[in-house]
Amino acid sequence: MVDLGRVQKELQECNKNMDVSGINVKPKGDSLTHLIGTIPGPMGTPYEGGIFQIDIVLPDGYPFEPPRMQFATKVWHPNISSQSGAICLDILKDQWSPALTLKTALLSVQALLSAPQPDDPQDAVVAQQYLKDYQTYVGTARYWTENFASSRGLEEKVQKLVEMGFPEASVRSTLAAFGGDENLALEKLCCG
Amino acid sequence: MENEEGLQADGESDPKAPIPVSEVDAWENIRDDDIMQQQSAIRAEEAEKVPFIGDKEPLSVLAAEYESGSPILLKKIKVLGEKYGSIRRTRGDGNCFFRGFMFSYLEHILESQDQAEVDRVTTNVEKCRETLQALGYADFTFEDFFALFLEQLESVVQGKETSISHDELVIRSRDQSISDYIVMFFRFVTSGEIKRRSEFFEPFILGMTNATATVEQFCKSSVEPMGEESDHVHIIALSDALGVPIRVVYLDRSTYDIDHVIVNHHDFIPSAGDLPSAGGGSSETTKPIVTLLYRPGHYDILYLK
Repeated sequence: MVDLGRVQKELQECNKNMDVSGINVKPKGDSLTHLIGTIPGPMGTPYEGGIFQIDIVLPDGYPFEPPRMQFATKVWHPNISSQSGAICLDILKDQWSPALTLKTALLSVQALLSAPQPDDPQDAVVAQQYLKDYQTYVGTARYWTENFASSRGLEEKVQKLVEMGFPEASVRSTLAAFGGDENLALEKLCCG
Repeated sequence: MENEEGLQADGESDPKAPIPVSEVDAWENIRDDDIMQQQSAIRAEEAEKVPFIGDKEPLSVLAAEYESGSPILLKKIKVLGEKYGSIRRTRGDGNCFFRGFMFSYLEHILESQDQAEVDRVTTNVEKCRETLQALGYADFTFEDFFALFLEQLESVVQGKETSISHDELVIRSRDQSISDYIVMFFRFVTSGEIKRRSEFFEPFILGMTNATATVEQFCKSSVEPMGEESDHVHIIALSDALGVPIRVVYLDRSTYDIDHVIVNHHDFIPSAGDLPSAGGGSSETTKPIVTLLYRPGHYDILYLK
Protein backbone atom coordinates (compact mmCIF):
# COMPACT_ATOMS: atom_id res chain seq x y z
CA MET A 1 0.00 0.00 0.00
CA VAL A 2 1.07 3.56 -0.64
CA ASP A 3 2.27 5.21 2.57
CA LEU A 4 -0.34 8.00 2.55
CA GLY A 5 0.90 9.56 5.78
CA ARG A 6 4.21 10.18 4.12
CA VAL A 7 2.60 11.54 0.95
CA GLN A 8 0.67 14.06 3.03
CA LYS A 9 3.85 15.20 4.78
CA GLU A 10 5.60 15.47 1.42
CA LEU A 11 2.87 17.66 -0.02
CA GLN A 12 3.00 20.00 2.98
CA GLU A 13 6.79 20.17 2.92
CA CYS A 14 6.95 20.73 -0.82
CA ASN A 15 4.36 23.46 -0.97
CA LYS A 16 5.82 25.26 2.06
CA ASN A 17 8.78 26.52 0.04
CA MET A 18 6.90 27.04 -3.17
CA ASP A 19 7.77 30.72 -3.47
CA VAL A 20 11.48 29.93 -3.55
CA SER A 21 11.55 26.96 -5.94
CA GLY A 22 8.36 27.51 -7.91
CA ILE A 23 7.85 23.76 -7.65
CA ASN A 24 4.60 22.44 -6.24
CA VAL A 25 2.61 19.23 -6.08
CA LYS A 26 -1.17 18.95 -5.79
CA PRO A 27 -3.60 16.03 -5.77
CA LYS A 28 -5.22 15.64 -9.19
CA GLY A 29 -8.56 14.61 -7.74
CA ASP A 30 -9.68 13.12 -4.44
CA SER A 31 -6.95 10.52 -4.35
CA LEU A 32 -3.47 11.07 -2.93
CA THR A 33 -2.00 8.58 -5.38
CA HIS A 34 -2.57 10.67 -8.52
CA LEU A 35 -0.87 14.04 -8.36
CA ILE A 36 0.10 16.95 -10.57
CA GLY A 37 3.52 18.53 -10.13
CA THR A 38 4.46 21.92 -11.54
CA ILE A 39 7.97 23.09 -12.38
CA PRO A 40 9.07 26.38 -13.92
CA GLY A 41 11.44 26.13 -16.88
CA PRO A 42 15.00 26.95 -15.78
CA MET A 43 16.40 30.41 -16.55
CA GLY A 44 18.82 30.68 -19.44
CA THR A 45 17.38 27.65 -21.24
CA PRO A 46 14.86 27.36 -24.10
CA TYR A 47 12.36 26.34 -21.40
CA GLU A 48 12.59 29.66 -19.56
CA GLY A 49 9.20 31.27 -19.03
CA GLY A 50 7.35 27.98 -19.33
CA ILE A 51 5.34 26.33 -16.59
CA PHE A 52 5.49 22.56 -17.02
CA GLN A 53 2.97 20.17 -15.55
CA ILE A 54 4.00 16.66 -14.63
CA ASP A 55 1.53 13.85 -14.14
CA ILE A 56 2.50 11.78 -11.08
CA VAL A 57 1.10 8.36 -10.20
CA LEU A 58 2.26 6.74 -6.97
CA PRO A 59 2.54 2.94 -7.26
CA ASP A 60 1.44 0.68 -4.38
CA GLY A 61 5.02 0.22 -3.27
CA TYR A 62 5.75 3.95 -2.84
CA PRO A 63 8.14 5.08 -1.31
CA PHE A 64 10.01 1.84 -2.05
CA GLU A 65 9.05 2.07 -5.71
CA PRO A 66 9.64 5.28 -7.68
CA PRO A 67 6.78 7.65 -8.48
CA ARG A 68 5.67 7.33 -12.12
CA MET A 69 6.20 10.74 -13.65
CA GLN A 70 5.55 12.01 -17.14
CA PHE A 71 5.16 15.43 -18.67
CA ALA A 72 1.54 16.46 -19.16
CA THR A 73 2.77 19.60 -20.93
CA LYS A 74 4.29 19.02 -24.35
CA VAL A 75 8.02 19.63 -24.32
CA TRP A 76 10.88 19.38 -26.85
CA HIS A 77 13.81 17.76 -25.05
CA PRO A 78 16.17 14.84 -25.88
CA ASN A 79 15.31 12.94 -22.68
CA ILE A 80 11.56 13.48 -22.76
CA SER A 81 9.26 11.91 -25.31
CA SER A 82 7.71 14.61 -27.50
CA GLN A 83 4.79 12.20 -28.01
CA SER A 84 4.01 10.72 -24.59
CA GLY A 85 5.90 12.94 -22.16
CA ALA A 86 7.81 9.90 -20.80
CA ILE A 87 10.96 10.94 -18.95
CA CYS A 88 14.34 9.19 -19.13
CA LEU A 89 15.91 9.78 -15.73
CA ASP A 90 17.81 7.26 -13.59
CA ILE A 91 16.29 8.27 -10.26
CA LEU A 92 12.82 7.53 -11.64
CA LYS A 93 14.02 3.99 -12.38
CA ASP A 94 16.65 1.81 -10.72
CA GLN A 95 18.39 4.68 -8.95
CA TRP A 96 15.27 5.62 -6.99
CA SER A 97 15.56 5.50 -3.21
CA PRO A 98 13.04 6.08 -0.43
CA ALA A 99 15.52 8.75 0.71
CA LEU A 100 14.31 10.81 -2.26
CA THR A 101 11.02 12.68 -2.31
CA LEU A 102 8.55 13.98 -4.90
CA LYS A 103 10.18 17.36 -4.49
CA THR A 104 13.75 16.11 -5.00
CA ALA A 105 12.53 14.08 -7.99
CA LEU A 106 10.90 17.17 -9.52
CA LEU A 107 14.08 19.17 -8.84
CA SER A 108 15.98 16.49 -10.76
CA VAL A 109 13.51 16.74 -13.64
CA GLN A 110 14.02 20.50 -13.62
CA ALA A 111 17.79 19.96 -13.64
CA LEU A 112 17.33 17.63 -16.62
CA LEU A 113 15.70 20.51 -18.52
CA SER A 114 18.89 22.54 -17.92
CA ALA A 115 21.26 19.72 -18.81
CA PRO A 116 20.00 17.43 -21.61
CA GLN A 117 21.79 14.08 -22.02
CA PRO A 118 21.50 13.48 -25.80
CA ASP A 119 23.68 10.35 -25.56
CA ASP A 120 21.01 8.60 -23.49
CA PRO A 121 17.90 9.81 -25.30
CA GLN A 122 14.23 9.15 -24.73
CA ASP A 123 13.27 10.92 -27.95
CA ALA A 124 15.70 9.98 -30.73
CA VAL A 125 14.47 12.68 -33.13
CA VAL A 126 15.05 15.47 -30.64
CA ALA A 127 18.40 14.00 -29.62
CA GLN A 128 19.57 13.85 -33.27
CA GLN A 129 18.55 17.44 -33.78
CA TYR A 130 20.29 18.48 -30.54
CA LEU A 131 23.54 16.87 -31.69
CA LYS A 132 23.45 17.80 -35.38
CA ASP A 133 21.63 21.10 -35.52
CA TYR A 134 21.74 22.69 -32.08
CA GLN A 135 20.29 26.05 -33.19
CA THR A 136 17.19 24.41 -34.66
CA TYR A 137 16.80 22.42 -31.45
CA VAL A 138 16.91 25.62 -29.36
CA GLY A 139 14.40 27.29 -31.67
CA THR A 140 11.99 24.36 -31.61
CA ALA A 141 12.26 23.92 -27.84
CA ARG A 142 11.60 27.64 -27.35
CA TYR A 143 8.65 27.56 -29.73
CA TRP A 144 7.13 24.58 -27.89
CA THR A 145 7.68 26.33 -24.56
CA GLU A 146 5.89 29.48 -25.75
CA ASN A 147 3.14 27.54 -27.44
CA PHE A 148 2.40 24.81 -24.89
CA ALA A 149 3.93 25.82 -21.56
CA SER A 150 3.33 29.53 -21.13
CA SER A 151 0.18 30.89 -19.58
CA ARG A 152 0.10 33.72 -22.14
CA GLY A 153 0.12 31.19 -24.96
CA LEU A 154 -2.62 29.21 -23.23
CA GLU A 155 -4.93 32.21 -22.78
CA GLU A 156 -4.54 33.10 -26.45
CA LYS A 157 -5.52 29.55 -27.44
CA VAL A 158 -8.48 29.51 -25.04
CA GLN A 159 -9.70 32.80 -26.45
CA LYS A 160 -9.34 31.61 -30.04
CA LEU A 161 -11.26 28.38 -29.43
CA VAL A 162 -13.97 30.14 -27.39
CA GLU A 163 -14.40 32.59 -30.28
CA MET A 164 -15.04 29.58 -32.51
CA GLY A 165 -18.04 28.89 -30.32
CA PHE A 166 -16.90 26.18 -27.90
CA PRO A 167 -17.77 26.55 -24.19
CA GLU A 168 -14.78 27.84 -22.17
CA ALA A 169 -14.85 25.04 -19.57
CA SER A 170 -14.55 22.29 -22.16
CA VAL A 171 -11.95 24.28 -24.13
CA ARG A 172 -9.76 24.46 -20.99
CA SER A 173 -10.17 20.79 -20.05
CA THR A 174 -9.57 19.62 -23.63
CA LEU A 175 -6.45 21.77 -23.99
CA ALA A 176 -5.15 20.40 -20.69
CA ALA A 177 -5.84 16.84 -21.84
CA PHE A 178 -3.71 17.40 -24.95
CA GLY A 179 -0.83 19.14 -23.19
CA GLY A 180 -1.79 22.51 -24.67
CA ASP A 181 -1.79 21.27 -28.27
CA GLU A 182 -4.31 23.55 -29.97
CA ASN A 183 -4.80 21.47 -33.12
CA LEU A 184 -5.46 18.20 -31.30
CA ALA A 185 -7.80 19.99 -28.89
CA LEU A 186 -9.74 21.51 -31.80
CA GLU A 187 -10.03 18.12 -33.47
CA LYS A 188 -11.37 16.60 -30.25
CA LEU A 189 -13.80 19.49 -29.67
CA CYS A 190 -15.14 19.13 -33.22
CA CYS A 191 -15.60 15.38 -32.89
CA GLY A 192 -16.99 15.25 -29.42
CA MET B 1 21.36 -9.08 -9.27
CA GLU B 2 23.65 -10.86 -6.89
CA ASN B 3 26.25 -13.12 -8.30
CA GLU B 4 25.48 -16.61 -7.18
CA GLU B 5 28.10 -18.23 -9.33
CA GLY B 6 29.34 -21.40 -7.75
CA LEU B 7 26.20 -21.79 -5.69
CA GLN B 8 24.39 -23.73 -8.33
CA ALA B 9 25.47 -27.25 -8.91
CA ASP B 10 27.84 -27.46 -11.85
CA GLY B 11 26.29 -28.50 -15.12
CA GLU B 12 22.91 -26.99 -14.35
CA SER B 13 21.37 -25.53 -17.47
CA ASP B 14 20.79 -21.82 -17.89
CA PRO B 15 17.19 -21.10 -16.84
CA LYS B 16 16.88 -18.24 -19.35
CA ALA B 17 15.48 -19.57 -22.60
CA PRO B 18 16.78 -17.98 -25.81
CA ILE B 19 14.66 -15.04 -26.95
CA PRO B 20 12.85 -15.52 -30.25
CA VAL B 21 13.89 -13.07 -32.97
CA SER B 22 10.42 -11.53 -33.24
CA GLU B 23 10.64 -10.40 -29.62
CA VAL B 24 14.01 -8.81 -30.22
CA ASP B 25 12.44 -6.73 -32.97
CA ALA B 26 9.84 -5.49 -30.51
CA TRP B 27 12.50 -4.51 -28.00
CA GLU B 28 12.26 -0.79 -28.65
CA ASN B 29 8.55 -0.88 -27.88
CA ILE B 30 9.12 -2.05 -24.34
CA ARG B 31 8.36 0.71 -21.88
CA ASP B 32 10.00 1.42 -18.52
CA ASP B 33 6.83 0.31 -16.77
CA ASP B 34 7.09 -3.05 -18.49
CA ILE B 35 10.71 -3.43 -17.48
CA MET B 36 9.93 -2.61 -13.88
CA GLN B 37 7.00 -4.99 -13.90
CA GLN B 38 9.26 -7.69 -15.24
CA GLN B 39 11.83 -6.94 -12.56
CA SER B 40 9.30 -7.26 -9.78
CA ALA B 41 8.06 -10.51 -11.32
CA ILE B 42 11.62 -11.87 -11.22
CA ARG B 43 11.92 -10.75 -7.62
CA ALA B 44 8.65 -12.49 -6.73
CA GLU B 45 9.91 -15.66 -8.36
CA GLU B 46 13.14 -15.43 -6.39
CA ALA B 47 11.13 -14.84 -3.21
CA GLU B 48 9.45 -18.19 -3.55
CA LYS B 49 12.81 -19.89 -3.59
CA VAL B 50 14.53 -18.23 -0.63
CA PRO B 51 12.80 -16.17 2.09
CA PHE B 52 14.49 -12.91 3.20
CA ILE B 53 15.86 -14.93 6.12
CA GLY B 54 16.02 -18.75 5.94
CA ASP B 55 15.96 -21.40 8.62
CA LYS B 56 19.05 -22.30 10.59
CA GLU B 57 20.75 -25.19 8.80
CA PRO B 58 23.76 -27.35 9.72
CA LEU B 59 26.98 -26.38 7.94
CA SER B 60 26.91 -29.74 6.16
CA VAL B 61 24.34 -28.32 3.70
CA LEU B 62 27.10 -26.07 2.43
CA ALA B 63 29.35 -29.03 1.69
CA ALA B 64 26.47 -30.72 -0.13
CA GLU B 65 26.07 -27.65 -2.33
CA TYR B 66 29.63 -27.90 -3.58
CA GLU B 67 29.80 -31.68 -3.70
CA SER B 68 30.81 -31.78 -7.33
CA GLY B 69 32.44 -28.36 -7.23
CA SER B 70 35.80 -26.86 -6.43
CA PRO B 71 38.05 -29.00 -4.20
CA ILE B 72 39.46 -25.82 -2.64
CA LEU B 73 35.98 -24.79 -1.51
CA LEU B 74 35.27 -28.24 -0.09
CA LYS B 75 38.48 -28.09 1.90
CA LYS B 76 37.66 -24.63 3.13
CA ILE B 77 34.19 -25.72 4.22
CA LYS B 78 35.82 -28.47 6.25
CA VAL B 79 38.09 -25.93 7.96
CA LEU B 80 35.07 -23.69 8.51
CA GLY B 81 33.29 -26.60 10.20
CA GLU B 82 35.94 -26.75 12.93
CA LYS B 83 34.72 -23.47 14.33
CA TYR B 84 31.25 -22.85 12.92
CA GLY B 85 28.26 -25.13 13.28
CA SER B 86 25.43 -23.67 11.25
CA ILE B 87 24.36 -21.21 8.61
CA ARG B 88 21.22 -19.18 7.97
CA ARG B 89 20.71 -18.13 4.38
CA THR B 90 19.51 -14.74 3.23
CA ARG B 91 17.85 -13.86 -0.05
CA GLY B 92 20.22 -12.74 -2.80
CA ASP B 93 18.44 -9.53 -3.73
CA GLY B 94 21.22 -7.02 -3.13
CA ASN B 95 20.04 -6.35 0.41
CA CYS B 96 21.46 -9.54 1.91
CA PHE B 97 24.15 -7.85 4.01
CA PHE B 98 21.60 -5.59 5.67
CA ARG B 99 18.97 -8.31 6.15
CA GLY B 100 21.61 -10.68 7.56
CA PHE B 101 22.91 -7.99 9.89
CA MET B 102 19.39 -7.12 11.04
CA PHE B 103 18.45 -10.67 11.95
CA SER B 104 21.78 -11.60 13.48
CA TYR B 105 21.91 -8.47 15.64
CA LEU B 106 18.32 -8.69 16.89
CA GLU B 107 18.76 -12.40 17.54
CA HIS B 108 21.86 -11.58 19.60
CA ILE B 109 19.89 -9.11 21.74
CA LEU B 110 17.00 -11.57 22.10
CA GLU B 111 19.33 -14.30 23.35
CA SER B 112 21.69 -12.19 25.47
CA GLN B 113 19.07 -9.77 26.88
CA ASP B 114 21.94 -7.29 27.10
CA GLN B 115 20.15 -4.10 28.18
CA ALA B 116 23.41 -2.13 28.22
CA GLU B 117 23.92 -2.97 24.53
CA VAL B 118 20.37 -1.92 23.72
CA ASP B 119 20.89 1.42 25.49
CA ARG B 120 24.22 1.94 23.76
CA VAL B 121 22.83 1.27 20.29
CA THR B 122 19.77 3.41 20.97
CA THR B 123 22.13 6.30 21.83
CA ASN B 124 24.04 5.71 18.59
CA VAL B 125 20.80 5.62 16.58
CA GLU B 126 19.94 9.04 17.99
CA LYS B 127 23.38 10.28 16.89
CA CYS B 128 22.66 8.95 13.38
CA ARG B 129 19.38 10.84 13.40
CA GLU B 130 21.25 14.05 14.26
CA THR B 131 23.79 13.31 11.52
CA LEU B 132 21.05 13.04 8.90
CA GLN B 133 19.39 16.23 10.12
CA ALA B 134 22.73 18.05 10.00
CA LEU B 135 23.23 16.77 6.45
CA GLY B 136 19.92 18.34 5.46
CA TYR B 137 17.66 15.27 5.17
CA ALA B 138 14.00 16.14 5.83
CA ASP B 139 12.77 14.29 8.93
CA PHE B 140 9.85 12.69 7.16
CA THR B 141 12.14 10.91 4.72
CA PHE B 142 13.77 8.80 7.46
CA GLU B 143 11.71 8.98 10.67
CA ASP B 144 9.41 6.02 9.86
CA PHE B 145 12.41 3.77 9.17
CA PHE B 146 14.13 4.81 12.41
CA ALA B 147 10.93 4.29 14.41
CA LEU B 148 10.44 0.78 13.03
CA PHE B 149 13.99 -0.26 13.87
CA LEU B 150 13.74 1.05 17.43
CA GLU B 151 10.41 -0.77 17.77
CA GLN B 152 12.02 -4.09 16.73
CA LEU B 153 14.95 -3.46 19.08
CA GLU B 154 12.55 -2.86 21.97
CA SER B 155 10.46 -5.90 21.16
CA VAL B 156 13.31 -8.41 21.44
CA VAL B 157 13.91 -7.31 25.05
CA GLN B 158 11.80 -9.71 27.10
CA GLY B 159 9.40 -9.08 29.94
CA LYS B 160 7.17 -6.49 28.31
CA GLU B 161 3.74 -6.63 26.75
CA THR B 162 5.25 -5.97 23.35
CA SER B 163 8.04 -8.57 23.71
CA ILE B 164 8.36 -11.14 20.94
CA SER B 165 9.64 -14.72 20.81
CA HIS B 166 12.40 -16.05 18.57
CA ASP B 167 9.79 -17.55 16.27
CA GLU B 168 8.10 -14.18 15.97
CA LEU B 169 11.46 -12.55 15.16
CA VAL B 170 11.86 -15.01 12.27
CA ILE B 171 8.32 -14.26 11.05
CA ARG B 172 8.90 -10.50 11.20
CA SER B 173 12.23 -10.81 9.40
CA ARG B 174 10.40 -12.50 6.55
CA ASP B 175 7.71 -9.82 6.40
CA GLN B 176 8.51 -7.42 3.59
CA SER B 177 6.77 -4.48 5.27
CA ILE B 178 9.17 -4.85 8.21
CA SER B 179 12.32 -6.17 6.55
CA ASP B 180 12.42 -3.55 3.77
CA TYR B 181 11.92 -0.73 6.28
CA ILE B 182 14.80 -1.98 8.42
CA VAL B 183 17.03 -2.36 5.35
CA MET B 184 16.23 1.22 4.45
CA PHE B 185 16.99 2.30 8.03
CA PHE B 186 20.46 0.75 7.70
CA ARG B 187 20.93 2.38 4.29
CA PHE B 188 20.17 5.80 5.83
CA VAL B 189 22.58 5.13 8.72
CA THR B 190 25.30 3.94 6.32
CA SER B 191 24.88 6.87 3.95
CA GLY B 192 24.84 9.38 6.82
CA GLU B 193 28.05 7.95 8.28
CA ILE B 194 29.85 7.96 4.91
CA LYS B 195 28.86 11.58 4.25
CA ARG B 196 29.66 12.70 7.82
CA ARG B 197 33.21 11.30 7.48
CA SER B 198 33.56 11.86 3.75
CA GLU B 199 37.30 12.61 3.99
CA PHE B 200 37.91 9.22 5.59
CA PHE B 201 35.76 7.31 3.09
CA GLU B 202 36.74 9.19 -0.08
CA PRO B 203 39.91 7.14 -0.84
CA PHE B 204 37.96 3.85 -0.48
CA ILE B 205 35.26 5.07 -2.82
CA LEU B 206 37.76 6.34 -5.39
CA GLY B 207 39.42 2.95 -5.28
CA MET B 208 36.31 0.94 -6.02
CA THR B 209 34.37 2.96 -8.56
CA ASN B 210 35.34 5.13 -11.48
CA ALA B 211 37.54 7.95 -10.33
CA THR B 212 34.96 10.64 -11.01
CA ALA B 213 32.40 9.45 -8.46
CA THR B 214 32.16 11.75 -5.48
CA VAL B 215 31.16 10.60 -2.00
CA GLU B 216 27.81 12.25 -2.55
CA GLN B 217 27.24 10.41 -5.86
CA PHE B 218 28.37 7.12 -4.35
CA CYS B 219 25.80 7.40 -1.55
CA LYS B 220 23.09 8.40 -4.00
CA SER B 221 23.75 5.57 -6.43
CA SER B 222 25.26 2.72 -4.38
CA VAL B 223 24.00 3.11 -0.81
CA GLU B 224 20.56 4.67 -0.71
CA PRO B 225 18.71 2.76 -3.47
CA MET B 226 17.28 -0.60 -2.37
CA GLY B 227 18.97 -3.63 -3.91
CA GLU B 228 22.41 -2.03 -4.26
CA GLU B 229 24.97 -4.51 -2.99
CA SER B 230 27.15 -3.82 0.03
CA ASP B 231 30.92 -3.66 -0.04
CA HIS B 232 33.63 -2.97 2.53
CA VAL B 233 32.71 0.70 2.61
CA HIS B 234 29.11 -0.05 3.62
CA ILE B 235 30.19 -2.49 6.32
CA ILE B 236 32.76 -0.14 7.85
CA ALA B 237 30.24 2.70 7.89
CA LEU B 238 27.40 0.69 9.43
CA SER B 239 29.68 -0.94 12.00
CA ASP B 240 31.13 2.44 13.01
CA ALA B 241 27.83 4.31 13.07
CA LEU B 242 26.04 1.78 15.29
CA GLY B 243 29.19 0.72 17.13
CA VAL B 244 28.61 -2.95 16.38
CA PRO B 245 31.62 -5.19 15.65
CA ILE B 246 31.07 -7.42 12.60
CA ARG B 247 33.06 -10.45 11.44
CA VAL B 248 33.01 -11.41 7.79
CA VAL B 249 34.32 -14.89 6.92
CA TYR B 250 35.37 -15.30 3.31
CA LEU B 251 34.62 -18.44 1.36
CA ASP B 252 36.17 -18.14 -2.09
CA ARG B 253 38.56 -20.04 -4.29
CA SER B 254 41.66 -18.07 -3.39
CA THR B 255 44.45 -20.08 -1.81
CA TYR B 256 48.21 -20.13 -1.44
CA ASP B 257 48.60 -23.78 -0.66
CA ILE B 258 46.08 -26.40 -1.75
CA ASP B 259 47.24 -28.78 1.00
CA HIS B 260 46.86 -26.28 3.84
CA VAL B 261 43.90 -24.09 2.99
CA ILE B 262 42.96 -21.38 5.45
CA VAL B 263 39.67 -19.55 5.69
CA ASN B 264 40.24 -15.81 5.89
CA HIS B 265 38.11 -13.49 7.93
CA HIS B 266 38.05 -9.80 8.61
CA ASP B 267 36.77 -8.14 11.77
CA PHE B 268 35.16 -4.75 11.35
CA ILE B 269 35.77 -3.17 14.75
CA PRO B 270 34.19 0.23 15.33
CA SER B 271 36.47 3.09 16.30
CA ALA B 272 37.28 2.98 20.05
CA GLY B 273 34.81 5.47 21.48
CA ASP B 274 31.77 3.57 20.28
CA LEU B 275 32.65 0.08 21.43
CA PRO B 276 30.30 -1.93 23.60
CA SER B 277 31.23 -1.20 27.23
CA ALA B 278 30.04 -4.46 28.73
CA GLY B 279 32.90 -6.59 30.07
CA GLY B 280 35.37 -3.75 30.28
CA GLY B 281 38.37 -5.80 29.12
CA SER B 282 39.77 -4.89 25.73
CA SER B 283 39.75 -8.43 24.33
CA GLU B 284 36.15 -8.84 25.46
CA THR B 285 34.98 -5.66 23.74
CA THR B 286 36.24 -6.60 20.29
CA LYS B 287 34.26 -9.84 20.07
CA PRO B 288 32.10 -9.65 16.98
CA ILE B 289 28.36 -9.56 17.63
CA VAL B 290 27.41 -10.36 14.05
CA THR B 291 29.20 -13.00 11.97
CA LEU B 292 28.50 -13.27 8.25
CA LEU B 293 29.72 -15.71 5.64
CA TYR B 294 30.74 -14.01 2.41
CA ARG B 295 30.74 -15.79 -0.90
CA PRO B 296 31.45 -13.57 -3.92
CA GLY B 297 28.39 -11.33 -4.20
CA HIS B 298 26.48 -12.70 -1.23
CA TYR B 299 26.30 -12.69 2.58
CA ASP B 300 24.69 -15.34 4.82
CA ILE B 301 24.60 -15.59 8.62
CA LEU B 302 27.13 -17.88 10.27
CA TYR B 303 26.87 -19.44 13.76
CA LEU B 304 29.70 -20.60 16.06
CA LYS B 305 29.55 -24.21 17.22
